[in-house]
Amino acid sequence: MTRKEFQQRLAEQVLILDGATGTELQKRGMPLGVCPEQWVLDNPQVLVDIQRAYIAAGSGAVYTCTFGGNRLKLAEFGLAEKNREINAELARLSRKAAGQQALVAGDIAPTGRFVRPFGDLAFEDAVAVYREQVLGLLDGGVDFFVIETMLDIQEARAALLAVRETCDLPVCVSMTFDQAGRTLTGTDPVTALITLQSLGADAVGCNCSTGPADMIQVIAAMKPYAKVPLLAKPNAGLPKLLDGKTVFDMSPEEFGAFIGRFIEAGVNLIGGCCGTSPAYIEQIRKHSSGLQPVAPCPRRFSAITSARTTSFAGPDIPMVVVGERINPTGKKKLQAELREGKTAEVRRFAAEQVAQGAGVLDVNVGMPGIDEKETMLKMVDLLSPVVDAPLCLDSSSADVLEAALRIYPGRALINSISGEQAKMERLLPVAAKYGAMFVLLPLDDSGVPETAEQRCAIVERVFAAAGQYGFTKNDIVVDGLVMTVSSDQKAAAETLKVISWCSTSFGCCTIVGLSNVSFGLPERGWVNAAFLAMAAASGLTMVIANPSSETLMRIKMASDVLTVRDKNSSGWIAYSSQTSASAAPGQAVGPERSAPEKVYDAVLKGDRDGIRELLDAALRGGLTPADAVDTCLIPAIVEVGSLFDRKVYYLPQLIQSAETMKSAFEMLEPMLATTGVQVVKKKAVIVLATVKGDIHDIGKNIVGLMLKNYGFTVHDLGKDVSEHDIVRAAKETGAELVGLSALMTTTMVEMKRVIALARKEGLTCKFMIGGAVVNEQYAAEIGADGYAPDAYAAVKLAETLSA
Amino acid sequence: MNDKPVQTALGGVTYLEHIPAMPKRERILARLGHRAATTILTDDQTAFLERGIEEALLLCHVKGAYRRIPVAECTDRIIRLENGTVFQSAGLAQLLSRSTEVVLMASTAGSAIMQRIAEEVSTGSAALGLILDATASHAADAGLDWMVSFLNGTLQRHGKRLTSRRFSPGYGDLSLEHQRIIFDLLDLDRMGLFLTEKYMLIPEKSVLAIAGIEGITE
Repeated sequence: MTRKEFQQRLAEQVLILDGATGTELQKRGMPLGVCPEQWVLDNPQVLVDIQRAYIAAGSGAVYTCTFGGNRLKLAEFGLAEKNREINAELARLSRKAAGQQALVAGDIAPTGRFVRPFGDLAFEDAVAVYREQVLGLLDGGVDFFVIETMLDIQEARAALLAVRETCDLPVCVSMTFDQAGRTLTGTDPVTALITLQSLGADAVGCNCSTGPADMIQVIAAMKPYAKVPLLAKPNAGLPKLLDGKTVFDMSPEEFGAFIGRFIEAGVNLIGGCCGTSPAYIEQIRKHSSGLQPVAPCPRRFSAITSARTTSFAGPDIPMVVVGERINPTGKKKLQAELREGKTAEVRRFAAEQVAQGAGVLDVNVGMPGIDEKETMLKMVDLLSPVVDAPLCLDSSSADVLEAALRIYPGRALINSISGEQAKMERLLPVAAKYGAMFVLLPLDDSGVPETAEQRCAIVERVFAAAGQYGFTKNDIVVDGLVMTVSSDQKAAAETLKVISWCSTSFGCCTIVGLSNVSFGLPERGWVNAAFLAMAAASGLTMVIANPSSETLMRIKMASDVLTVRDKNSSGWIAYSSQTSASAAPGQAVGPERSAPEKVYDAVLKGDRDGIRELLDAALRGGLTPADAVDTCLIPAIVEVGSLFDRKVYYLPQLIQSAETMKSAFEMLEPMLATTGVQVVKKKAVIVLATVKGDIHDIGKNIVGLMLKNYGFTVHDLGKDVSEHDIVRAAKETGAELVGLSALMTTTMVEMKRVIALARKEGLTCKFMIGGAVVNEQYAAEIGADGYAPDAYAAVKLAETLSA
Repeated sequence: MNDKPVQTALGGVTYLEHIPAMPKRERILARLGHRAATTILTDDQTAFLERGIEEALLLCHVKGAYRRIPVAECTDRIIRLENGTVFQSAGLAQLLSRSTEVVLMASTAGSAIMQRIAEEVSTGSAALGLILDATASHAADAGLDWMVSFLNGTLQRHGKRLTSRRFSPGYGDLSLEHQRIIFDLLDLDRMGLFLTEKYMLIPEKSVLAIAGIEGITE
């Protein structure tokens, strides 16, 4: 069956699929725990009987019994090397059962492994695993393929590419969505649909996991965007375990009552999944009789997807900001990180841009000294699982773009394809194969045209070439080509003409790389903002920009209101309330505080950055260093302790205040030394250590910081410290106190050894302990003098023990 | 296909290279001593907290692994798995009393966040270090939560689910020594994890857990 014939058939009638196979096999004697594929080969008539029963009940297509027929699943039964012949034989069996009465769908399902970037199975390995299975099913003579029960969009992509790269038979892809309408790796139905239909699926849909009621919602969500027929195979309600067997709570009649609604919602292929049987298929036939399928009739839309969400672009929706910051040009730190293979800066740029309103992230890693392809693949692998925003793959290298498109777990935007002949010939088929949208750059082998008319002519020429690969105007975004006005002041007007022509005449999305317009000028932000507003008025749909510029984002949001893209101004209202809330002072304004009071306040609020300046002002105003300590710092930190005790402050506030104190003391200590004034009474010497075998030391470090701030002399020995080293340090420093920390039950016993050794060697110092697994009782048990549950309690305990 | 044929994951272990785990904010705050009824933050302190959490989430690379093993025998204090593994714990035995299988799980927030925490506490801002630390702890826990949710989704269609609670070594009477058993069964070296002589996981923000698989009967 050709893809065209398949589409024709689905346009004319609803294709009834089969129901569950596994549970039917079990009813007929297949034991639990065996390999179903092998068991069926050993008991072929059982499957033939089941499939003939489905066909008799109304199924127009049956699935081969190859759900676990891929190499990785068969390997669990030692059958990996026989996968091709097993698939071929099972396909022949279904062919025998179906005869000419029904179609045979080659069934492909999850491998049980997760594909990168979510799991450890390399994408190409996944494609290869599925390719083997496809070849086997083709050997057996299937009519079309069904990739079903897919939990992960990337694995579905791998399977779909394996079919597409092996044959030209129709292929349906069916994902599994939970009751919240997401796959288990977080993809929503519309995103899955757009990704898979762009990649060449002939039908897309869902099966398993939910009953009919929830599944209708998934189909209804997909339908407005479906360019291909939709498929549904719901379970027979919800499962439960009864006497060791899984049973479902919906009768065939109840199931059948949903069929009309499914077809009305837009389903073109329908069957049953877990818990269904020929009786359920009979109900589908009964309730679908005489009903015509709703043909795919998608609204016009331009969209790119990530693994989890979709970003739409168009004249009626708010302008999409494509975050430009993941680009090493002019960013030394990013350049260094990319060279070293580090990713922290990229992660930061990604998260910040999304938080600031970018709907898409441009990723450009072209720079001297790195392997661009390898780095781009690494970025796709890194960003795909951590940010929801789709990616715009930005490279001048066709090889880089092709490699990135292959592993990108969504529908990407390519930046860019121009009218240069070689580039068109190389990239258009690649973009078409992976279903990408692309930025059309209106320049050609002659260079950048000066006038809008020349650029528009190139747009038409590239689009005509793209049309041969199936691209529509919804699949392209024309770059207006922003030239710098400092070298040609009329250039901006030409760009705006291109945008206007695309919006009103040609009919496609547009994009500009905004900042180029102001290159070479002072105060560039204002020029960029003005140009953005003008471009918005001309119909601009996407802008490559830095979303951290509040001016730009406000202009964009306001333009969305004025061009009626932001319906009811709801986006603007939400954005404004958010920004005005954060810009508001937030606290009541009282009478002006004196300089010493400001120092006190700084400690109270933990203003480490501001304390020195405030202290300096207070000292210049006549406050002595000693008074600063006595009347500002000490009272403030005492109040902080009180606030912490009363849970008004939480731990970071306590530590921020302590760090502010530390900064203040570092400034005052030299002054105090010169005056000879001893304002802070030196407290006891304390040795601190995390005991032997224990590597957790953040708690101990925080205690050390607090103790220092309260005047103790702290000797921090670090972590994983032996009892001998601790006792030796206590002797050498003359410590009055030893603080021990342990986080695990296996290491807390070391505390006892330390104390025992200290006592044996005649040390009279006191011991305090802390850590997640110890308590007051344990302290008493091992002969410690006290236990502190947190850093402030440790300070108070130290003061008590050393008093 | 690459040069070597693709093999199944070692011993049925499934490895997850990127878990889209999102720790619950209220848990992070609670770990830091925040009490909704009493704690008051200024705008600056709130912004500091939010920046810290965001930064931590960027640096946490949550990975995980899980493996299902059938239960051969479960007495009142001993759980024997079909592969011969034995867990000794009355609490765990009670949890698994209706389970036909166990799921062993591991989750880690990775090493980049640990390096950053150490830097902040020693030479930067200890307060920020604390926020990073708390977020990383809950990111690792959220990795386990994600796996539980994922497994429940796949089990549901078979009329099964995971036990409502999970056990970790060191919890109740399940001694910390069991870390070694789970570590080896999940082959966590492969994920870049390391277990010390005292059964501590490195990177530090890593957690192991056991849950049972039981039928949905109601």
